[in-house]
Amino acid sequence: MPWAKGEEFLDLKERFKGLEIEEKATITILRIDKSQLIDLLKALKEEKGFKLFIDHSVVDFPDKKPRFEAFYILYKVDEKKRIVVKTWTDGELPSIEKLWFAGKWAERECYDMFGIRYEGHENLVRAFMWETYQHYPLRKDFPLEGYATEYLPSLNEVLWGDNLQGLMNYDRMHTYVPTLEDLEITEKKRLKKKAQIVLNWGPLHPGTHGTMWFLFDLEGERVYQCDVILGQLHRGVEKLAENEMYNQFLVYTDRMDYLSALCSNQAWVVAVERLLGIEDLVPEKAKYIRTMMSELQRINSHLLWLGTYALDLGALTIFLYTFKEREKLMDIIEGITGARLTISYTRIGGVRMDLPEGALEVIRAFIKRFPKELEEWERILSRNRIWLRRNIGVGVISKEDVYFYGLTGPVARGSGVPYDLRKFEPYDAYGWVEFDIPVGENGDVYDRYLVRLEEMRQSLRIIEQCLNALEKMKKAPFFAESPDPKKLKLSLDGIGLKVPEGEIYSSGENPRGELGFYIYSKGGIKPYRVKIRPGSMYNLCIYPKLMKDRVIADAVTVLASLDPVVGEIDR
Amino acid sequence: MEGFVAWLIITLIKILVILAVVLGVGAYLTLLERKVAAHIQRRPGPMVVGWHGLLQPLADGLKLLTKEDLFPRYGNKFLYNLALVMALVPATLVFAVIPFGPEFELFGIKIKPMLTDVNIGILLVFALGSMAVFSIALAGWASNSKYALIGSMRKAGIIVSYEVVITFAVMGPIILAGTLSTYDIVQKQIDQKLWYIWLQPIAFVVYMFAMLAETGRVPFDVQEAEAELVTGFTVEYGGMKFGLFPLVEWYIEVLSLSAIAVVLFLGGWSPINIPFLGFLDPLFFLGPLSPFVWFILKVSLLFLFVLWLHWTLPRYRIDQIAETAWKVMLPLTFVNLVFTAIIAPLIWR
Repeated sequence: MPWAKGEEFLDLKERFKGLEIEEKATITILRIDKSQLIDLLKALKEEKGFKLFIDHSVVDFPDKKPRFEAFYILYKVDEKKRIVVKTWTDGELPSIEKLWFAGKWAERECYDMFGIRYEGHENLVRAFMWETYQHYPLRKDFPLEGYATEYLPSLNEVLWGDNLQGLMNYDRMHTYVPTLEDLEITEKKRLKKKAQIVLNWGPLHPGTHGTMWFLFDLEGERVYQCDVILGQLHRGVEKLAENEMYNQFLVYTDRMDYLSALCSNQAWVVAVERLLGIEDLVPEKAKYIRTMMSELQRINSHLLWLGTYALDLGALTIFLYTFKEREKLMDIIEGITGARLTISYTRIGGVRMDLPEGALEVIRAFIKRFPKELEEWERILSRNRIWLRRNIGVGVISKEDVYFYGLTGPVARGSGVPYDLRKFEPYDAYGWVEFDIPVGENGDVYDRYLVRLEEMRQSLRIIEQCLNALEKMKKAPFFAESPDPKKLKLSLDGIGLKVPEGEIYSSGENPRGELGFYIYSKGGIKPYRVKIRPGSMYNLCIYPKLMKDRVIADAVTVLASLDPVVGEIDR
Repeated sequence: MEGFVAWLIITLIKILVILAVVLGVGAYLTLLERKVAAHIQRRPGPMVVGWHGLLQPLADGLKLLTKEDLFPRYGNKFLYNLALVMALVPATLVFAVIPFGPEFELFGIKIKPMLTDVNIGILLVFALGSMAVFSIALAGWASNSKYALIGSMRKAGIIVSYEVVITFAVMGPIILAGTLSTYDIVQKQIDQKLWYIWLQPIAFVVYMFAMLAETGRVPFDVQEAEAELVTGFTVEYGGMKFGLFPLVEWYIEVLSLSAIAVVLFLGGWSPINIPFLGFLDPLFFLGPLSPFVWFILKVSLLFLFVLWLHWTLPRYRIDQIAETAWKVMLPLTFVNLVFTAIIAPLIWR
């Protein structure tokens, strides 16, 4: 089990009065009073070795007093254990930015979404919304239907007469939109100009791989300081999750990290299955299919990364080479699932449909051909002197930084931390297949590049083993059968699926880092609160530090090596 | 009087021919580049307009010419337009001193196939070449955009570094030839039965690098750097004004500098050289046209080499480029210069 045992913390009980230890099948929780929170977290980090910061957020209970329950998720990489620390608050919390920098960004998000104030936070600004926005969207009392007093320019236009009915009648859907002044205030609040010029990089810029807005304070070409304004793609996915059924939310996981939809699907479905306790019910075949598809998606995603990365460094041709291979993968995925980008192939209890005839042969042909292509690209890039000079020694991340900034995925592995959830906490068929975790030595951009290339080869290994297994079970079922349909209703459309009371943090290894779901269920068909742990966002939070004192040309190199996807950062 | 009129007519014809050829070829080189790039990237390239996209440059030109002429607010309109002129004119002027072939006689008049054989030809070429820095600095400054400013400063820095390098690199062939006239340099190579590349390989390599840097080709295209600076100093230009900069930088300048490289190192219009023994001409059947074909062939080969690099390599960072120029290339050219000075008397005989 990935969770730490309760008895490990008994010695802490003497030092911290009021420490409660709660151990369940799906989670282990330490409850502590707000005043002792920082001391406990410090003890966990420094004495107990829970060094890696995973996530922090709050759950809103409007009826209770105090109102908010805050949780901190930590990980101990050496022993593969996770722990959740919880505390109650009425709107104020001590800041953990001294312990984990990543906490700073998590706190900004909580401030933005719940209005929690953090004492000792250096620069408490909103994470996604603009500064002059008055409301806290994730609070339960946020009016979903909008504000009647607000005027919304674009949606309120009456084109064909005001005869649209029901939800289509946008006239009642009032919400706020930022004006240019609002954006200017937001920009001013982020970065105080200290050097020569402030270069606005984005929100629409070819180098940012999405709608991110960077501010570089430049001294000549040297970056003096740098900040990021997020939220251009914020859609309130967590709020949507609270108002959708478990299976309905699946389609939103596609749209978060849109380059690795299948992996996100899998992570969500596995989280819900674990919460239901039906992980063993899922048929073997479905597990193999999910694993294989996820690995195909991982190669697909890494190919896009490689292409755009080379493009950023000026090697235009690699971009077209990788996209050619990516196209083949897209065709394979389309042939199996019917969709190319937003796939929603997995279901709670299995997959949507069986593999079509010939799918295994096509995939086998692909993995036979692909290593040769990979070798060819490596011949152009890996030993190229220009490539080496642009990459080696740039954006160095130390092991301590990985823990301090909460980095996961290839970024953490590039720095030598072998944190891979496929091995640490095997879900689906990952426990039954053989593969290695590549790790880097220096933690620079070049190491991350090599790690990702090697990951593609390991993915091929996994796919091949899945193929061998799947070939033997052509007629096997691909969807779980409920042992007692009256209690637990499992169906392909997922309607009527009731989840018992409980909570869980479960995560999957996405191509861009750990994608975690903290689900708090009060029972029923909808989750009460879903906190998504976006790997991209915490990977990005080290960016301002890496960019300090580097030239602007390294901005693209470092950013592309962190490989963030805005859909997942902003949600 | 008659002599003057004949000279005037001949010169005017030469100007027309050179301008038509340079600008026409410049436009069609865009198609060549797109085709070469496409085949390197395993795709067909332009195929729709004309047979295998033969009319594509015309379509591109038409599109660019009919676009709306945008001008950035708070920019300086005079400098903005002056930058264009400063880019186009010096780059085209270089062709005035490029010899396309040997002297020939037509209707009893001796004609050199070059506009003017000034005795400081090479000096003129590099003087005009350094004018490019003005156009880029002006373009960056007048656009009133931070991207353009950074791009133009980068480019100015590179040109200043590589002007020094390229000047010292061409010093070698000049010493060997003992003249600055482009026509005479080629003639000397034919007389001495020696392409200077055989004695000046270092200078040639350095020259090629400097040429890539000056024209902003990969791996030195930091002033464009579409990933970080969008397109650098041209970001605020639109329509044909935008089209002019790459046309000048990537095609006309590459062409003129390749031609100069052929003149200095590859014996101009002479056929294949066996050092100190003589020349071997597999194209002898072309008769008097053979020198011209040789010249064009050599220039095209150099141009294709540049394209090949452009579509294969990644790009350097600005500080690494300047470092290479000052720390590696400049000392190399010094060594080469000393070496040339020692062996030059042997060649002069």
